[in-house]
Amino acid sequence: MSAYPKWKYILVLLVLSLSIVYSMPNFYTSYPSIEIQKSQNSTNISELNKIISTNVIPVSSEEKTDKVIYRFSSIDDQLKAYNNLETANLANEFTLFTDRELPEFFETINANPTFLGLDLKGGVHFLLQVDEDNIKKNLLRENEADIKKLLIKDRIRFSLSERKDKNFSLIFNDNDAYTRAFELIENANLSGDYEISSEESNLQIKLAPSQKAIDYDVKSSVTKNMTILRNRVNEIGVSQPIVQRQGKNRIIVQLPGLQDSTRAKNILGSTATLEFRLTKGTPEDWYASKLSGSPLISSSKLYKQSNGDPVLLSRKVIVSGGEIRNANTGFDSTTNSPAVFVRLTDYGASNMLNTTQSNIGKRMAVVFVEKDNEKVINIAVIREAFSQSFQITGLDINEAKDLAILLRSGALQAPMEIVEERTVGPSLGKDNIVSGQNSMYLGMFLVAIFMFFYYRTFGVVAVVALLANILIIISLLSIFQATLTLSGIAGIVLTVGMAVDANVLIFERIREEIANGNTPNTSIYSGYKKAFSTISDANITTLIAAICLLTIGTGAVKGFAVTLVIGILSSMFTSIVGTRALVSLIYENKKSERLSI
Amino acid sequence: MSLRIISNTNFNFLEQKRKALLISGLIILLSFFSFLTQGLNYGIDFSSGYIVQLEFNKDVKIERIKESFTENSVDNPIIQYYGNQKEVIIKLQESNTYDQNNINNFLSTVFKNYDYKIQKLDFVGSQIGSELRTKGEWAMLVAIISILVYIGFRFEFLYGIGAILALIHDVLITVGIFSLLQLQFDLSVLSALLAVIGYSLNDTIVVYDRIRENANLMHADNPENILNKSINQTLSRTLITSLTTLFVLFSLLLFGGIAVEYFSIAMIIGVLVGTFSSIYIAGASLFFLKVLEKNEENQQLLD
Repeated sequence: MSAYPKWKYILVLLVLSLSIVYSMPNFYTSYPSIEIQKSQNSTNISELNKIISTNVIPVSSEEKTDKVIYRFSSIDDQLKAYNNLETANLANEFTLFTDRELPEFFETINANPTFLGLDLKGGVHFLLQVDEDNIKKNLLRENEADIKKLLIKDRIRFSLSERKDKNFSLIFNDNDAYTRAFELIENANLSGDYEISSEESNLQIKLAPSQKAIDYDVKSSVTKNMTILRNRVNEIGVSQPIVQRQGKNRIIVQLPGLQDSTRAKNILGSTATLEFRLTKGTPEDWYASKLSGSPLISSSKLYKQSNGDPVLLSRKVIVSGGEIRNANTGFDSTTNSPAVFVRLTDYGASNMLNTTQSNIGKRMAVVFVEKDNEKVINIAVIREAFSQSFQITGLDINEAKDLAILLRSGALQAPMEIVEERTVGPSLGKDNIVSGQNSMYLGMFLVAIFMFFYYRTFGVVAVVALLANILIIISLLSIFQATLTLSGIAGIVLTVGMAVDANVLIFERIREEIANGNTPNTSIYSGYKKAFSTISDANITTLIAAICLLTIGTGAVKGFAVTLVIGILSSMFTSIVGTRALVSLIYENKKSERLSI
Repeated sequence: MSLRIISNTNFNFLEQKRKALLISGLIILLSFFSFLTQGLNYGIDFSSGYIVQLEFNKDVKIERIKESFTENSVDNPIIQYYGNQKEVIIKLQESNTYDQNNINNFLSTVFKNYDYKIQKLDFVGSQIGSELRTKGEWAMLVAIISILVYIGFRFEFLYGIGAILALIHDVLITVGIFSLLQLQFDLSVLSALLAVIGYSLNDTIVVYDRIRENANLMHADNPENILNKSINQTLSRTLITSLTTLFVLFSLLLFGGIAVEYFSIAMIIGVLVGTFSSIYIAGASLFFLKVLEKNEENQQLLD
């Protein structure tokens, strides 16, 4: 029997040491932390300590020249502290991050710990979908207006059918109008944006937005909404949030560490905006005008105040949410009630100035608009003209905070609906890690005991290969920064059970060869050789099934499939090349008569 | 002397082929019957709805919780304890009383007299549910077809058919048992089914590899002997691998928690059935497909 080639030993050593190095970062403790920048007029350390420790105790804190770092035992604590800082309205900048006791060496070689899925660290996962019906409705309305303009310009007489969900029809009185309109529409080259079907017999032209136009709008809405969602997510205050497009009309949002999804839902999907309107008349006038039919009723609208009282506001909007450039929360300097400080765009500011200048002494209302729900949050007398910057009161602190976030981040281009949610509390996340680890330890232990008693020395070799296999899987997950989920851990555990199969196949072959009267070394040689094609065939089919699983592509399934694929590949290496190297090392130079198998 | 569970066995598995097929056939028939009459107990992944896991600060009574749901005009939510009497799991259908945006508020109304924490809240919309089901079915189909192609290419077409028969047998029975016992069928179970496909094939291929090898070595022998010998030679491997896989699966079932509970159950069933099928069904299907007859004919011609 020829000696086992040196390069294979080197390969095994190389792979093993690389995987040790790259899986190492997973074994260092990490802390959810907050970093607070120090600046000239910022709050001092003892003050900061007091603010943070109102309801949480940091694990440790560290003062550096330009910043202070607070470490916490859980993400829950970290977010509580973050909230404390936010409410305190500090001048300091502060950010969430994860602090590791990781030697710098690992950073230089780009070795990071595995990225844990939300089911392991807790948090909220949303899948949001752009409301395609809304987009279609808007397109239909725009199309109708455009076509109307086109026909009116050419003085073609027509009437419009009632707008349906998907289309609208132009109805003509005579053939001449129909033909002219048809030619006009034909020449206008609208085929890209419209589906046009004519019904000459009843002098109608049916029009609908084309699929291409709808797709285009969906795509641009998703792109625009992604940006806005990113802004909003960054404001919620979690570390490492994810906003990602999925498919053509969906966006994934992941907020690690968040315990309660209520606020996130209110903020993410919100289409809320503000409108500033002057009051116009009293509700009594309005009811009167409703009966008499005076012009008041067409120029004003009845709203409800937060206390339920009716109020009459002008239909004309002075400034709306789109004209708000920036918004912050704080407290009114005189009344000390929570306030949103608003800064308008130049256009909005000049509108505001014009209106306030000519309406001093009158009252202006701030209306909160969310879908069909309109709520007057504040009515105040205009005491002096103002333009760019002013403040809005009438909300509690949390409402003010959320409103400021919404105003800052901008309005969604199209409404979005949550079509999937997966929320896992941080403590359940921790439990899941422990569950995964425990099942791994027990599985590993049972397999190891069995292999040792059944195959003796060879069993030990197989178990060593198994450990190496786990190490390689962990390092590959870390290198590719694949997300490790609980089902991913299940995949690794399953690999442990199935990976020994290759060794069982080889060892059973070796036993057969020995039983046939072959020498130990020949038996080893042909055992490995004969088992190889069986092992690869068997593994490739499992690989095919795992890859098909990957195509389903959803969180839990994907996590399982990824570790299964990695596990199959690495187990083929460890259980064939790896064990062979070990076996050769043990038996090659011994002229032993018997193998311990 | 080394430890052996079984060695040099010489069971006549093929003799029992009709009995084995009868048993399998009966179970499959039963599965079909159950599948048609009561269907699968789909989890929310495939059927849409909410699953909420709540942890209270003290023991709670399920009847009381049910009552508070009824008071808020939600009838018959499915509620069960999880682990202890402080934690419950609640399954809710989609409803007009709450939607994905205000489910949290709805819960706080229902539980206004309780102190609780949401440990887990899953919502799957109906569109996503049906999409996942379609995707899952496609993944199964594509897996089966690509495996058929691979085996057809590596072995012979008829071996491929034999392997697929064994595999469909395993999947049908596993799904059938899930339907019979009305166990929750969710995404994790689907993952398990695809893993079972991989596992079952793994097993079958090992046996077929031996059959092919022996068919070349023992030309003159009759198919039944070749099949029997091959199955016996691979028997200890088949059993040992099943055993180690079952070790880890029971560890998962024991310690892995609710998220992998049904996954483990599906895989345990799959592995048990898969082991049975690679011993009794895979070989027998080659016999009925007359894969080895050619072998015999060739030999007769040579003689």
